[in-house]
Order: sequence, then structure tokens, then C-alpha cells
Amino acid sequence: MNLNRNPKQHKNNNGWSKMHGWMMDKLVDTEGALIPVNPEGPARLKPELDYQVFLENASRLMIRFKKPERLIRMIVNVIDEQLGISHAAILLHREHKNSFVLIDSKGESGVRIPVGFIRMTFENPLIKIFNERKNYFISETGVLVYDTLKALLKNKEAINGHREIADSIDLVIRQMELLKAIVCIPLYNKKNFIGVLVLGEKVSKHKFTRHEMGFFMTLANDAAMAIANAQLIESLQERVEEIKDLYNREHRIFIHTAIALAAAIDARDPYTHGHTERVTSYCLAVADELSGIPEALAYKNFKETLHIAGLLHDVGKIGTPDSILNKKGKLTKKEYERVKEHPVVGAAILSPIQELGDVAKEVKYHQERYDGKGYPEGIKGSDIPLIARIIAACDAFDAITSDRPYRQRKMAEIAIRELQANSGTQFDPLVVSAFLLAFEKGKILGSK
Amino acid sequence: MKKILVVDDEMEICDFVKHFFEERNYEVFTAFGGFDAIRVVKKEKPSLVLLDIKMSDMDGIETLEKIRQIDKNVNVIMVTAVEDKDKMQAAERLGARAYITKPLVLEELESAVMSYTKEQK
Repeated sequence: MNLNRNPKQHKNNNGWSKMHGWMMDKLVDTEGALIPVNPEGPARLKPELDYQVFLENASRLMIRFKKPERLIRMIVNVIDEQLGISHAAILLHREHKNSFVLIDSKGESGVRIPVGFIRMTFENPLIKIFNERKNYFISETGVLVYDTLKALLKNKEAINGHREIADSIDLVIRQMELLKAIVCIPLYNKKNFIGVLVLGEKVSKHKFTRHEMGFFMTLANDAAMAIANAQLIESLQERVEEIKDLYNREHRIFIHTAIALAAAIDARDPYTHGHTERVTSYCLAVADELSGIPEALAYKNFKETLHIAGLLHDVGKIGTPDSILNKKGKLTKKEYERVKEHPVVGAAILSPIQELGDVAKEVKYHQERYDGKGYPEGIKGSDIPLIARIIAACDAFDAITSDRPYRQRKMAEIAIRELQANSGTQFDPLVVSAFLLAFEKGKILGSK
Repeated sequence: MKKILVVDDEMEICDFVKHFFEERNYEVFTAFGGFDAIRVVKKEKPSLVLLDIKMSDMDGIETLEKIRQIDKNVNVIMVTAVEDKDKMQAAERLGARAYITKPLVLEELESAVMSYTKEQK
């Protein structure tokens, strides 16, 4: 779509206003941006003011570009189309390649350097001089201009006693010849040298004016800032994703370890097969109904703690002998005392694991009763932590609805009635009502 | 004037390299693929071929094999992407003189072409 390549269309007197117009069109087009423009039109302003208006708008608009590549393409486009130059290219530093890579270019085929075709390393004299800021010894603005460098080398007086700089100018001239560059503009963001804008000669063969040079400098500064910001945002986003992944992976490993442990406990007790899994899912369903209450909000991570505590609430049964777990008849008093040890044993197993936080405490109290007649400590009411109270109700519900050696399977309705009957005595009434809500929503037994 | 042939299926690259070496006083031919390249080698007998490894019609190694059947002595410089480096052994066996990896350093391209065209005569 390069219909504007005819140099006659790039008249100096209205170049800036055209550039301004072009930029507005492109932005309205691609970004949906609309910036108020002087209704009388910038064409009526003096040329110097004209490009200042353009610059002000440009720097404001640059912030809108989230993708630096799009911004770069736009800068190169503006310069190429409006100034009528043989070719333009922009190279940006790519950390993972440890070099400067050509990101975008413009110009006639053959003169234009193909995108991705060349790279420049830090040993390249042109890159080196910009990176070491020695360009400021040669040029006040830091912009390197081919003709000026040539003239400087011829001026014996100026370079006398500065052999080193003269040598590097010579090498830079050679690099500019390779690129067919007339002007090279460095892009700095704060302390970092992040890229270079390369411009070929004007199609009209005219020299670049002082105004144009100043414009390039300002544009380069703004562009550098926008590019650096965009890159920063991009790398921050990548970092956030990485951390998220890492957390998710670790979390998955942790939950799976807990599940494996729970399954190991379940496996020892053939009559309660799947007990832990079911209790955990009931707990999570009840938690959904309670997640807004102050007591739940007081937990650092209510759901997470509940999930793990649910999975591990019977881990202390690891210390209960098989002969007791598998016994078909009623337990003797002594045997029952052994079973009652499991919450304390479980808490003892889990408490050294710092990462588990409150989990050990919840495991310890999941056999307490709301009226204080439970074990191991006989604490009551809200002295029993909320998660332990939830586990207690869900544990009881599953005991009633599952086949056990000492009790035939009962219907869920009977279990619900039992929960209601013991609400306020064995169970926390709040937990029971949350359980009923979840049950009615079909979250407890999917089929119901 | 020394003749060189640039083989690449990207027209933009052919154009750029052609222009680049014409300014350095070479006669430059271009070919957009393997078959085209073989035809030009037969007809123009260039003293050097810049040969891209990855091409759609016939890959660089196969093209080099066919070029060797026509001209045993022509200097060939392979142009490769980093990931094609393993193919360089095959290219070397077929007598490729050097390889340049893309994205390339312009100076290296220039000096490689100059040094392998200089030694010929």
C-alpha cells in the first residue's frame, strides 16, 4: 500500500501536518484511539510548531501501544512514508540472542534489509560506540550522521591527538556503509541501550534538516521509553505466569500426596472404602455455604485448609492395629480407647509440617462434640475450630450412609434426620443448616 | 567481473543480497529454488554460490549434490538457520566451503564471499 513513495509528495512545508494526519488515521484505524486535534487543522501552523504538535500527540499516543512491535512498525512507517527515504530499519536488543536483531524495515526491495536477516553483536563498532556512549563525544545529540563523520575524519585538527576516536569513527563509517545508512539514531531507556534506528538517504537526495534531526531524537526517546515499558510489562506478565505455574504444580503435588496418604489409610479399612474421599467432598460442599461467615474469613486460606484437613483427618489411624480396624463385632472398651487415640496421633504426625498450618489442630478436634462430650479434650462450642466442626458432621453423615461392620447402611434421609436431631448437641447448628442447604442443592449425594 | 549466485526462496533476501554485492562489483544472479539454481550454474558458471539450506522445492543439501554433478569446483557457502546446523556435516562432505547462520552478521557475509572469490584467480 505504499502509494505515497513519490518524493514530490513530501514537500517540506506540509510534511509534519501530513505526518500528523497519517498518524491520526492509522490510530483511529488500528487502535480506536481518538485524540482531539486543533479544529483549524495543524496545516495552518508554522512548520516548527507543526512538528511540535505532532510530537506532543505522538508521545501521548505511544503509551497506548501495548505491543512494542506495533509501535515500532508505526514509527518506521511514519518516517519512511513522510520523509521519503530510500530505506529505514530498526534493530532491537534481544537478550536471549545476545545481539541486536532487525525488527522492521521499509524501502524498495533490494535496498530494504529483510526482517530477521541480519543481527549485530556487541562487538559491532556501531553498537559498541552507542553502548559505551562514545557517540556523545562525536555528536551533541548522540545521533550519528554519515556526512558529519566523513567530514570529521578529514578535519586533521579536530582528530589530532584523538587517535582512538578517529579509529572508531572509521569503523563506524564502514558499518554505516554496509547498512547504507545516512543517519543512525540510538534508542536509550534510562541507562540501557536498547536499539538503533537506521535511516538511508532521502529519495530527493536532500540532507536531513536540523528540525528533522531534533524530531528524530525526541521520537527516539519517547519510543525507547514506550518499548522499554512494553517489554517490562511483557516480562512481568511472563514472570507472573511462571510463578502461577510453579505454585499450581507444587500445590498439585501437595494435594496428590495428601490424597495418596488418605488412600493408604482408607485401604487398611476395607469397610470404609472411599470414606476419606467422600467426607472431603461433603466438607467442600458445606464450606461453599459457609465461606462468607467471619469465622471462615478468619482463616488464612479456609477452603485449602479444609480440603487438606478433610483428606488427612483420619491419618492417625495409621497407629490403630489392623485387628481393631477389621473387627466385625462390637469393639471392647479397651479397643474403643485405642480408636479414640487417632485424632491426637494424627495431629502429632502433622504438626511438624509447618506448611500445613492449622491442619493439625483441625485433625486433632474433629471428634469433639458441640456440647463438649467428645474427645480428646472435651472442648465445646466455638472453642472447637470451625473446620473440625464441619468434618465432625460430614464424618458422621458418611458413617451412617456407608456400610460399616457394626451398622447396616441407612438411607440418607435417616442420616439427615440424625444430623437434625443432634444439632446443637453433637453438632454445630450452623454447620448442620449449611449441610442441609448443600444437601438440598444436590451437592452432597449427586444422585439425590 | 566475478559471478556469484544467490539461492534463497525468499525473494526479498535474494534482492537484498544481489543489490549488496552488485555495489561491490560482482555480477549477481539469483535463483528462488534448487531447480532454478542448477539451471543458472549450468548456464552462467558462477565462481561462488550462496545456498540457503531450507527451501521449499528442493532442500539445500540436495541442490548442492546436483550442483556438484555439474561443477566439482564451484565455491559454495551454505546459509543456515541455527536449528539446521546438523545438516552442515552433509554439506561439508559435499565440499561446502563455509556456512553462515541466519540472522547473519553482514560483515561476515561480505568477507566470506570476498575471500572465496579472491583465491580462485
